Amino acid sequence: MMNDSIKKSVLNVPSHTELRRQVISTRRVSVVGGKLLSNVSTRSSGAGARVYKNGVWGFSSIGNPDDDGIKAILKSAGENALLLDSRKPKNRGPLTNASSFEFTEKRPFQETNQKQLIDFARALDSYISEKYPSLTSRSVVISADCIEKELITSEGTFSFQLFPRVYVVVVMSDEANDGENIELFDILGGGEGYFTDYYCDPSELYPAVDRLYTELQQKREGVFPDAGEKLCIIDSSISGMVAHEAVGHTVEADLVLAGSVAATSLGMQVASPLISLTDFANTAFGKKAPLPVYVDDEGTPCRDAVIIKDGVLTGYMNNLESAMHFGMEPCGNARAYAFVDEPLIRMRNTAIHPGKDKLEDMIASVDNGYYLTKTQNGQADTTGEFMFGITMGYEIKNGKLGKALRDTTISGVAFNMLKTVDMLSDGVSWDFAGYCGKKQPMPVGMGGPALRCRVNIGGR
Amino acid sequence: MEMQKLKDAALYAVDKLLEEGADEAQSSAAEGRTEEFNVDAGEFSLIRSVFSSSIGLKAIKDKKKGTTAVNSLDKDDIDDAAKECVQAAISGAEDDAVCIAEKETNMDFRDGVLEGNKEKFFDSIIKFIDDVKKDYPQIMLEQVIANYSYGKHVFANSNGVLFSEEDGSYSISVMYSAHDGDKTTSFNYFDVETLDPGADIMELGMTRTMFERAVAELDAKPFEGKFVGTAVLSPICLTELISVITGSFCGDIALIEGTSPWKNLLGEKVASDSFTLKVIPNDSRIICGEKITAEGYKSENYDVIENGVLRSFCLTQYGANRTGLNRSPSTSGSVEVKAGGESLDEIIAKIDRGILVCRFSGGEPASNGDFSGVAKNSFLIENGKISRPLTETMISGNFAAMLKQVEGISRETLQDGGCVLPYAAFGGVTVSGGAQAE
Repeated sequence: MMNDSIKKSVLNVPSHTELRRQVISTRRVSVVGGKLLSNVSTRSSGAGARVYKNGVWGFSSIGNPDDDGIKAILKSAGENALLLDSRKPKNRGPLTNASSFEFTEKRPFQETNQKQLIDFARALDSYISEKYPSLTSRSVVISADCIEKELITSEGTFSFQLFPRVYVVVVMSDEANDGENIELFDILGGGEGYFTDYYCDPSELYPAVDRLYTELQQKREGVFPDAGEKLCIIDSSISGMVAHEAVGHTVEADLVLAGSVAATSLGMQVASPLISLTDFANTAFGKKAPLPVYVDDEGTPCRDAVIIKDGVLTGYMNNLESAMHFGMEPCGNARAYAFVDEPLIRMRNTAIHPGKDKLEDMIASVDNGYYLTKTQNGQADTTGEFMFGITMGYEIKNGKLGKALRDTTISGVAFNMLKTVDMLSDGVSWDFAGYCGKKQPMPVGMGGPALRCRVNIGGR
Repeated sequence: MEMQKLKDAALYAVDKLLEEGADEAQSSAAEGRTEEFNVDAGEFSLIRSVFSSSIGLKAIKDKKKGTTAVNSLDKDDIDDAAKECVQAAISGAEDDAVCIAEKETNMDFRDGVLEGNKEKFFDSIIKFIDDVKKDYPQIMLEQVIANYSYGKHVFANSNGVLFSEEDGSYSISVMYSAHDGDKTTSFNYFDVETLDPGADIMELGMTRTMFERAVAELDAKPFEGKFVGTAVLSPICLTELISVITGSFCGDIALIEGTSPWKNLLGEKVASDSFTLKVIPNDSRIICGEKITAEGYKSENYDVIENGVLRSFCLTQYGANRTGLNRSPSTSGSVEVKAGGESLDEIIAKIDRGILVCRFSGGEPASNGDFSGVAKNSFLIENGKISRPLTETMISGNFAAMLKQVEGISRETLQDGGCVLPYAAFGGVTVSGGAQAE
């Protein structure tokens, strides 16, 4: 923890200054084809300082510093800010975070036992191997990481937060009827917290493994969709990707300033009136959000950022600087991944709000289209054009599910696609296991209900 | 820290792992610094200085492996990490394939710029930003990250392997789009490396070509309909295909799991005669290429595909032990696709209907090479000419099949310090689109 001398050296800086101490610990175990391929633990700790000067920033970081090391990076960050201000001045005046408060995480850090992870992964692998010996390959991966952050700002805000996360991934592959190898994966359980918060007995995951195997067998007989724009039901397990990739990135204020499609859409109808979308800070729909954040890395207390309300674009995600530029209230979206990283505008738990339809009614309403149930990755463009890889789905013929689909891709332009949404399911699914990539990685949550919409789908 | 002290730390870690009970031990100690300039939305935003140190440990005990990494070179931290590493190995599972590198000839490598010139490099970036505004006023530099990185690295193991390397270079990553009134393009990006702090960044790599194409994309329209034709992949886009070759077709996991479609094709034809893919960490066109593989062998150039024939997989020693195949001489991502004899214009002139793909945004290709995704920053080719820029257009196909339908490889190459890549044209790609509902 930071001592009084360090705190004093930050509080005495006249320009907005942040000092962050962080520890990131990761554990990863992977059993591939019965062999323990990865058995890794890492620990990285250090401090980063950022200093503001008239519209530009200086940053400096160092691993495992003592008091002198911390003072050195504060000095180096200040010199970097001064150098940039002297060569490329913006003359934007001071930046101040109005808030000054303390937040301290109450739960203790809990060490994870590597052997426990290995034993669990091997037990799950044995179950798969014995029950489904015909699989061409199988792997079980367990990831357990924790970020500890301690922050002090020149305005006097102090916070200490923990961000633990754990999940199990199972991957299976088999030979399809045409001889090609096909693959399917799923995340089984887990969430914000420690291994023992979610996992006890591997047998608790057997039903989920069995479901995954059943889907893989359906996919073995799968077909490629007809390429082109189709009426689709995007399952709630995927719609978070729509919220995050297709919309979320375009409303990050740094990308708005760089000319994203949202720059000219504020206050406009950008989606069906059925659509509302929020970047939740720490609670969502009456429950704890999947990856709660309470204070961001500029010292702003986190609250929800309402992005789309009833189809109208109402706001952006901001840091202190962009909030001042747009005349918006900052909601705590400035986040840095590691101590070597400066805070960037990042999402937290971004979700489309649920509707009132039942999923079965939505499927029954489609004469000729697709029900898309699993995704693997997604990318978005500042124009709002997005792409998601689809790894599982089904044809819908005359309101009934048909053959499974082989791997494909969907794409569209977010604000166009969202205008075609005419049904929303009444439940929300969250995804918490991904990393968002934007210069730095960042764990994020994303969620939403099932959507009925028109979207481009790739064929073969 | 002096190089000798870094060597001492790496050797101390190996000894400590053995003392804790490891049968075999390996360490990889590194120290470095980075000076970075950031430009956001066309304006300088941040200067960042990072000082780093780390050590990665690997222990093998009773044929069981554990690995640990910490960002400290202090003895107490190395002691703790060594203890944890050996405990992880003891908790692990037996695997006959786990190993450490055999001793060859120990070497010390030095490469690149060991003392960066921050001021001169800053001047170059300022000039680049000003040049873009002057020469390409429609280009928005969404983000530029320019840095000088210097690093020292020592690799040691209990077989007596002791390598050291010290290098430094300048790199520039640019993400940009074009804007004109209400018209805006998809973003695109490129990276270039140089050893010259005073380099004219505008003239490195294919910088001007990429900006010119972005401006031409301002009038992009969605493609409607569907056809099977020729896809010309830009050099940067070609890296997508190469990562499938080196990963899904030739990599450790694909061959260990047996999912590679090429698993039985070593020495066989997998591509058209004109396609040659080399891994070239020691090539003079590569800046600060890999000197030591991830496992501790001296890194060497090698051919993956020579004139269409699969000459080597891309296997580590572990992957080789698991599959009974040979270890590849490098784990580097620095690659060359051998240039052809035609110009890009000559290749396009032969195409009746196709697409020039300058960026691919797609799902992870299936292990058999099936892919589909959005052709970004791309242009329609009709009757031997680029006819118009495209948006909202998807392409799909199979990478393994495409490699057997090479229709042309350009003599122009991208040389960005990390690779040497031409344009390459492949037949049999499905191009499809469809207007969005309003």
